[in-house]
Amino acid sequence: MPRVVEGDVCIVGGGITAAMVAEKLSAERDARIVVVEAGDPPIPLEGRFERRQRLMDYGENPWTNDHVPDQTARGIMSRSMGVGGLAMHWGGTVPRFTPEDFRLRSLYGVGADWPLDYGEIEPFYQEAEERMGVSGAPGPPELDPRSQPYPMPPMPLSWNVLRLKEWAERSGIPFWGNPEAKTTVPYDGRNPCQRCDTCNICPTGAKYTPDFTFGRLIQAGRIDLLTRTLVRRLVLAEGSDRVERAEAVDRDAPDDPVELRARVFVLAGGYTWSPHLLLLSGSPRFPDGLANRSGNVGRFMTGHRNVQAFVEVPMRLYPGVFGRSSLLSKRYERPGPLDAYVRHDLRIWESTVGRAPRLRDDDGRILLGDEVMADWRARSDLGAARLRAYYDVVPDPDSRLTLDAGLRNRWGDLLPRLDFKDAPESARLRQHTEDHIRGVFEHIVRAGGGRVLTTRVDDTQDHPGGGCRMGNDPATSVVDRWGRTHDHENLFVVGAPTIVSGGCGNGTLTFCALSLRSAVEIGREFPERTA
Amino acid sequence: MPTDRRTFLKASATALSGAAVGGCAGPGATEATLDATLLRALGGAVLPVGELGEEGVERVVSDFEAWAAGYDPVPELDHGYGTSEIRYGPGDPAPAWAAQLEALDLEARKRHGPGFAELDAESRRDLVRRQLAGADVGPGNPIAATHVAVGLLGRFYESTEATDLCYGRTIGRLTCRGTAGAPEEPRLLAGSAVPEPGA
Repeated sequence: MPRVVEGDVCIVGGGITAAMVAEKLSAERDARIVVVEAGDPPIPLEGRFERRQRLMDYGENPWTNDHVPDQTARGIMSRSMGVGGLAMHWGGTVPRFTPEDFRLRSLYGVGADWPLDYGEIEPFYQEAEERMGVSGAPGPPELDPRSQPYPMPPMPLSWNVLRLKEWAERSGIPFWGNPEAKTTVPYDGRNPCQRCDTCNICPTGAKYTPDFTFGRLIQAGRIDLLTRTLVRRLVLAEGSDRVERAEAVDRDAPDDPVELRARVFVLAGGYTWSPHLLLLSGSPRFPDGLANRSGNVGRFMTGHRNVQAFVEVPMRLYPGVFGRSSLLSKRYERPGPLDAYVRHDLRIWESTVGRAPRLRDDDGRILLGDEVMADWRARSDLGAARLRAYYDVVPDPDSRLTLDAGLRNRWGDLLPRLDFKDAPESARLRQHTEDHIRGVFEHIVRAGGGRVLTTRVDDTQDHPGGGCRMGNDPATSVVDRWGRTHDHENLFVVGAPTIVSGGCGNGTLTFCALSLRSAVEIGREFPERTA
Repeated sequence: MPTDRRTFLKASATALSGAAVGGCAGPGATEATLDATLLRALGGAVLPVGELGEEGVERVVSDFEAWAAGYDPVPELDHGYGTSEIRYGPGDPAPAWAAQLEALDLEARKRHGPGFAELDAESRRDLVRRQLAGADVGPGNPIAATHVAVGLLGRFYESTEATDLCYGRTIGRLTCRGTAGAPEEPRLLAGSAVPEPGA
């Protein structure tokens, strides 16, 4: 007999979108919430200074064993699987999408419109910023619209970045500081950022990580969190399209199956594991997997590519004043009418390219003793900067996550394979897009002075999403505008898998805003919390 | 130091050839101790003694010894986004590094008579250059350095202290220092004679 765990809401996955849904639902609704996570709890906050030191000393993964050994995939994916998920590692950069992102077909004739617009998601952007604690200062309102201030004052720009802002704005392009999920004042039990500059492990807890939320919810008795429990399939009730249970394996007792029963199931496993679970959950009535009558589960995988340049700038900079401090411009995310579609963000950081110490000079001679320092110093009179633009890639229907017949985990489940593909219009415009971005970089350098040292295109798709895209038409989408699957009324998918296109900037805030919006709809099933 | 030089030379040649292709001892390797005298002689030759002073060199070498001893071979490395690969670091570099120190000493004796530690700094640098000829000298993760001199220099030059010395400013890179000072130009480093750009 399986061990049965019952709740009103079962959230599959323990990352940042799960934390958002669990926190909102538990605060507003009277519902028993069970969160089930395949990986382990993270290193406690008290241990993070030591982990940070070993990261700096030896490059060790500060989140050791933050993955399930053979739960992997081919293609662009990240292995983090544990409480907090990738948002333990993340940099905490949280720009919003712009209104254009939601209306690509209407405005530019490419891709698809989302089934909601910026106005509908805007309150949830604000809510996500407040829940995770975001510091920021808005850019010009015509480029960076928002209805309320950020929850916290902005992170101060570093001396280097202030110089770079002055330099870059000679081009006429406005830049401002990136919003970040990091504290600048005491906030929600967290101390202000200490500028340690190792944000992939923040030793002080200034950066938001979902384990804070889960810890608080567990302490208050608001949720149950099952760790090291891998959900392997969802099963429908006999003769019904409603999901009745999730079948799981307890990694510590693999011979004793676990069954999770709930009124509502919420998949919060990100762009890899949520569509994967739906595909794994096929049955005689749904041979292609759950929520997949349209055949769209795993399709329209999306993200953005980037072009970057390293440039020499006509000023001295001091590397390491605050390496995480960076500039953002949305000038080209909101381009107005276009002859050919190209949209991208713009970011600037300090860089040490060409300015690092070295032991061999340009003539190949070995440098030792005082000459190493002298050589380094001689190359440090002028600073360097990194410019990067994420550009929107319209996904092809065949940009897909599929089950890989040649890859199984230890429980015999097929694992995913991800193959990203540009839609024809994006493929056609790729050269134009990348040439345009190089032109913007050259324009900035011409205006501010300096020279471009190198440019390169990173061929990966960053901040991926999709695989369960949202839409009003069940024939072309997997979930509706609230994240409810078209095929199963008590099954929701939240966050990254539901996005229609990847936008031009880091996606996590948008994934969280969408998840909070889904939580409103999920919550309608349950009475309001009275105590 | 080993008494049987023939045996030692054989061992060090093996270690050096492994180092040349980036190899290190595996996790099961015998724990090796870096000869303290030779390591200090190396530090005095390859570190910026003119800037650090002798006390500074001693501090840097001691830090290097503690750092090398604290290495846990083949650690899981930090993994970024977008790749399913879990990477692991190299084995313990100390056996190869210890052998290279011994080789420096042997070569010093064969070429000059006195041991490595008894030579003047320029002669020591000359021997180090001979060993590094054609080697990969980085930059890279110092724990993966194929030569002890590269490891020592790599460890020092990635430090907060080295950056401050280079720029003559108290930048404090990678120290947790609060955000209030971030917009300010870093203060001049006490005693620094680093000229301002264009000066």
